[in-house]
Amino acid sequence: MTTALDLDWLLNPSLAPDVADDTLAPLYTAASYGQLALPFCADCATPADLDQRVCDICGSARTLWRTVQLTGTVHSVTVMHRREPGLVRTGAPYPILDVELTSGHRLIMTSRESADTAFRIGDPVAIRFRSLGGVAIPAAIPAPPASSPANESTAHSISEECP
Amino acid sequence: MTRGVPREVAIAGLGMTEMSLRPGRTPLQLAVEAARSALADAGIEQRAIDGLLVGSSQGVRPDRLGVAFAAQGGFSDLRLLEHIEIKGATTIAMVQRAQLAIETGAATTVMCVFADAPLVAGKGAGSTYAHSGGNAGVRGLERASGVLGSVPTYALLARRWLHTTGADEADLCAVVTTARAWALGNPAAVVRTPLDDRGYYDSPMVSDPLRRLDCARPVNGAVAVIVSGDPSVGEAARLTVRGIGRDHPIRHRRAGGESWFGGGRRAVDLALDQAGMSRADLDMAQLYDPFSVVTLMLLDEYGLTGVQPVSDFVRGGGIGPGGALPTNTGGGQLSGFYLQGMTPLAEAIVQLRGAGGERQVPDAATALVGGIGGRVDHHAALILERAA
Repeated sequence: MTTALDLDWLLNPSLAPDVADDTLAPLYTAASYGQLALPFCADCATPADLDQRVCDICGSARTLWRTVQLTGTVHSVTVMHRREPGLVRTGAPYPILDVELTSGHRLIMTSRESADTAFRIGDPVAIRFRSLGGVAIPAAIPAPPASSPANESTAHSISEECP
Repeated sequence: MTRGVPREVAIAGLGMTEMSLRPGRTPLQLAVEAARSALADAGIEQRAIDGLLVGSSQGVRPDRLGVAFAAQGGFSDLRLLEHIEIKGATTIAMVQRAQLAIETGAATTVMCVFADAPLVAGKGAGSTYAHSGGNAGVRGLERASGVLGSVPTYALLARRWLHTTGADEADLCAVVTTARAWALGNPAAVVRTPLDDRGYYDSPMVSDPLRRLDCARPVNGAVAVIVSGDPSVGEAARLTVRGIGRDHPIRHRRAGGESWFGGGRRAVDLALDQAGMSRADLDMAQLYDPFSVVTLMLLDEYGLTGVQPVSDFVRGGGIGPGGALPTNTGGGQLSGFYLQGMTPLAEAIVQLRGAGGERQVPDAATALVGGIGGRVDHHAALILERAA
């Protein structure tokens, strides 16, 4: 799958996540279509942690992954100066963001482009995707001035997990 | 011995290996040495041990110390044997487990052994941690986003903490230089060269705001601690376990709130309640400090700086030699050595025994020992007192 044209700006493809049978498979599937899917409690709609299986609010064990708006704000951000040889491809420090998504989740990501390093806590961001070893990975860009209608939430379920 | 009558539980033995920055011995070899040293320190034979608790990091190597140490280490006829794992809160959890076993009569003299050897030949510690973690699950996604090793995760926490409190890098600098000042008097510390503010700011940035000197120094080493309800064990240097508290706030990562802050105070309150003490009764604090920002955060969240803001307290020398609350008096995990939760526990024992040499806190009789685990998800607090 990986070609020279497909190389990520940041990392070596050996860091591509395991996708088959992974607990985050619904996220990677949606990401391959340019959508962001995240888990919610199927009964009370509380945003769940990515690996959460029982809702801490209502006790439900039903999780629903659905696509969400591609927008958020920066909860925290660091610029990583240490670049591990063999794993990191870029020659410059790179950002790591902890993003509060409009959906209520928090998600760690880097930037879509290597040039985007000026993020600050509270900045609005939009979510796009990098391709790492053929796997689409959520990544941030500075929020465009106006929100695009294409980014609106879709309510349909793309996968459902019942115990 | 009468069942049902609580016995005074004390720390009665301490054994430590060299804390080494060089790869070499396995966790098992290190554990054997620490265990033998603790037995000699307590003045008992190995057969006097009827409980064994082992700990090791989830970390980076497959041959982590486990319950097989009972056979490998020559123990026999145990009534308590467990591997305790609650990340950086492990060592206090071990002492608590031992205390409960002793108070209920399930065991009398319990050895707690922690051994780790994260440093392997041909790689720096940073590189070893950067390569560990795997490609699966949440960690796999984070690693695919450039979160390599544990520094960037704590850098995100640090940036958020500085943002919410208004503290700044001068506070981080004060923590680091104070830890180094303490380490100068600790022969077991792995970094013992003087450090001033300029030296701190010259340290290379790893993941901002954390410089290399804001990060702990992992070592290969082991510590064994003997906890006993038998007053004849280690009678020359017994330290009473006065109180233990735990707090596992179980927070979720959601928008609109904090996931790292606001925990742990209950662990300290519970330990103080059990001890019948207040914060003013504490002669020192030995806190878990894998990164400089954690010292600031815990001093603040545990309520240890009185009415002073933590920045003023730390910059004013409150945690240094001669300060109101000497903290991490062996250099902590930053300049002393990082052996997970054993770093603060071992230092408290050394100090309360009056064995601190050049770094000894005068007349120290009580100590708060803290442990945190994960991404500040787990808190444990222990109060020790030198027997009168």
